[in-house]
Amino acid sequence: MTLLPALLVIVIVAIVGASLALAAFFWALRTKQFSVKQLNEGASVIFDSVEHVGKPTDQLFKKPGLQNDEQTSG
Amino acid sequence: MSRPPAERQVSRTIAADQRLSDELTRIGIDDSAASPTVLFLASGVAWLLIGSLMGLIASVKLDLPDWLGGAGPITFGRLRPVHLNAVTYGWISLAGSGMIVWLMGRLCRTHIRWTALLFLSAILWNIGLFLGSALVILGYSGGMEWLEFPLPAAAVIALAFILFALSMFRTFAARQVEHVYVSLWYILASLTWFPLLYVIANAGLYQGVGEAAMNWWYGHNAITVWFTPIGLAGAYYFIPKVIGRPIYSYYLGLLGFWSFALFYNWNGLHHLVGGPLPTWAISVSIVASLMMFVPVLAVAVNHHMTALGHLSMIRYSPTLRFVVFGAMSYTATSFQGSLEATRSVQEVAHFTHYTVGHAHLGMYAFVTMVLFGAVYYIMPRIAKWEWPYPNLIKVHFWLSAAGIAIYFLSLTLGGWLQGLAMNTPSIPFIDTVNLTKPYLWGRAVGGTLMTIGHCVFAYHFLLVIHRAGPKRFAPVWFRKAEEVAAP
Repeated sequence: MTLLPALLVIVIVAIVGASLALAAFFWALRTKQFSVKQLNEGASVIFDSVEHVGKPTDQLFKKPGLQNDEQTSG
Repeated sequence: MSRPPAERQVSRTIAADQRLSDELTRIGIDDSAASPTVLFLASGVAWLLIGSLMGLIASVKLDLPDWLGGAGPITFGRLRPVHLNAVTYGWISLAGSGMIVWLMGRLCRTHIRWTALLFLSAILWNIGLFLGSALVILGYSGGMEWLEFPLPAAAVIALAFILFALSMFRTFAARQVEHVYVSLWYILASLTWFPLLYVIANAGLYQGVGEAAMNWWYGHNAITVWFTPIGLAGAYYFIPKVIGRPIYSYYLGLLGFWSFALFYNWNGLHHLVGGPLPTWAISVSIVASLMMFVPVLAVAVNHHMTALGHLSMIRYSPTLRFVVFGAMSYTATSFQGSLEATRSVQEVAHFTHYTVGHAHLGMYAFVTMVLFGAVYYIMPRIAKWEWPYPNLIKVHFWLSAAGIAIYFLSLTLGGWLQGLAMNTPSIPFIDTVNLTKPYLWGRAVGGTLMTIGHCVFAYHFLLVIHRAGPKRFAPVWFRKAEEVAAP
């Protein structure tokens, strides 16, 4: 395949890829992924009541004598 | 006004129940991801060792061209592509997939679905890698960088990836969390785009200049839609999780993702500046490369501000140590890459070792370091066994950090001087080659340090899989579900 047909394939694939991205974007809008509520709370979804905000979860190098209630159990 | 004692007692009981429920749920999710994650991670570690050895031999061959030069299968032209494919499609892809499986469970708060597909995917992936490496060693290379594996091997890997993506999308569909966390956006984008890219690039539809255009469209986009999202997804999860603080600006995080999606995939053709391609195509690519400052700044500011005031925690956390190193390297390699795309910089840097240094800053200092951090976080939680020798992690970190620093600085400086010399007509070509010799030794020294670090890492990884070495109770103790539930 010579240059122009090859570029054509690339452009078509780029359009398909971009269409998928657009579809994802509109899905996100429809499901209110960008609503103020979700944006404000979204950053906290990686935490729960045990591994909560303010609690470090990886302290391997900390000496046992330095233990405090910030240590993780899970 | 304080609440009555009975009401306080009820509140405490409800909170305790919630904590127990959350912990059991999290352990159950981790357990559902455990076997496929370990399979992917262990495969990745094996390919890391193979790829490192191949890379080290290839690097030494640049200093001693006659060493192991007597047989075709061990010449530079065959070992170097095997190194590239082993560390990218082997180590980064497989370890990255392991991380994705584990993160998918955590971020969707649900058990991993269709795990049989994941096992099949990992097996096929390893078969594809072994077949491709063997064919390249035997001289059947595809001849294009990043696409050296012949069609049969590439087809097996493509199938493996599609099976992997199916399981991940099924898990996503069953998620128990309404919100899609920013790491998940990067993961879902990569699962959608990479199979499309890989299949099209390996379809063999091109020849001549078109093949070169497709080659670098693919080469850069493999980094765009697969390797970089792996690194960023990991950084966006592990930095806030380890510190215990949400990311600084969630708005900035999503802006970074969508601008990344908009600009990054146009970057590939800047590799062909000066080549026989339409000027507009290359110019568009250069402009898009410079526009990458938008998502990169968004990510850099976000990671920096999240860690600000908590950087002392690097002393305590192996994961944070590696991931922060990776995140800083992402900023550095992205800034360097955007500037390197311009015609004025390429006048000097193109066709030199400078580009190799840049590639390793991205693929090693960024993605690989984030993956090391991810493995240090994930493995104890799924093996229920803490890393037995913390000092080995420190040795691994410093060997890797020093190794990549020596490697990058040697090739950056040597490559730039090489480019300046090549642009000087009065300097004979052989002198431009001789000029690079000390820097190539620097490359070999850096590679040696990294390889030793990988051996240490692999040994420690094996100990955790086998739950060997001294049992550690503090400061971190990972419990099984039945131990948590026990009264």
